[in-house]
Amino acid sequence: MGDTGNRDRGQTVLSGDLLDLDTCLDSIFTGWARCWNAAEYRFPACVEARHLERLDYFQSFPHLATFPVTLDREHGNIDAFARGHACDSRGALDLPKLAAAEHVLTPAACYHVYIELEGEALDAPRYITTRATCFRNEDEYTPLERQWNFSMREIVCLGSAAEVEDFLTRTTYVINHFAAAIGLPADWADATDPFFSPTSNPKYLFQKLEPVKRELVYGDGLAIASTNFHRDYFGEAFNITRQGDHAYSGCVAFGMERWLSAFLGAYGGTREQWSCLDPFKP
Amino acid sequence: MSIDTRDALRQWIAGVSDKTTLESLADDTPLFRNGILKSVQVSDLILYIEELAGRAVDVEQIKPGAFRDIDTIHRSFFTHDHA
Repeated sequence: MGDTGNRDRGQTVLSGDLLDLDTCLDSIFTGWARCWNAAEYRFPACVEARHLERLDYFQSFPHLATFPVTLDREHGNIDAFARGHACDSRGALDLPKLAAAEHVLTPAACYHVYIELEGEALDAPRYITTRATCFRNEDEYTPLERQWNFSMREIVCLGSAAEVEDFLTRTTYVINHFAAAIGLPADWADATDPFFSPTSNPKYLFQKLEPVKRELVYGDGLAIASTNFHRDYFGEAFNITRQGDHAYSGCVAFGMERWLSAFLGAYGGTREQWSCLDPFKP
Repeated sequence: MSIDTRDALRQWIAGVSDKTTLESLADDTPLFRNGILKSVQVSDLILYIEELAGRAVDVEQIKPGAFRDIDTIHRSFFTHDHA
């Protein structure tokens, strides 16, 4: 295959066969999104911090956040930086005064959807799909499996509780059919999000008590997809309504690099070994 | 004792929720699935259960579904075969 170039801090370069595999899998996933008439969105790389604050993101996941920062423009600050040595011998930036940071690099693709739909009264269930480069600061990185930045394809549904549950049930069925048809050894398991200080966070307790997140786990523990039933959490936070009540929401997420890792592990590293996908190619 | 505990739970839940009333909240009404309680109220509910039970609740030992409805909470924390 020879198609991944590994970089520091959990970044991966894709080209050649592996990039083609990524494109093929993404086209299959977006095909499922089209079955729901999901609108494709392309969102910016950053999320405004004030929106994540409304979701208690910085209390729940402060350890995962990555902040884009810029130099303060006042009092020759940029001139001084330009005249000096930007990096030390280890490659670490010696930054002068920074401008106020008001954004976070996208931590999950679907946050943009709820922000975009703020204040809407839905007259029918709404389906949206998007793919985003997501950033999560981790203690350790493994190429393709746990990366600082990675690609996530999501299909999101907003509607009534019944509409969202129907979406999650049917999409789970499609994923199961696909995994069985290609012979991918993977099973669903209840999961919780990686909360900071979890036992003191009521949202973690809630996820333990009322499992709302299921992960499709390949092999020894690599979660390659997840279904998430948010109830009316985002609908209430962003005042999105359906039939007079706060809208419910749910999403199905695919970790693209992890699917590549699963394919390498299950079938091998050459294009010919991925022929199980042929019947599913658009 | 059992009836008092269920009544106490019902009164507490109806008091903190704007999605139900004391009269409409049955012992088998799903609490979280129907949005009667929010995720952020889990900690307060655990504290109230501890107050009623007179002992601490080990949150790591709580089983999924243990807070499904009043009946389930009663079975989980106020009977001899509790989880």
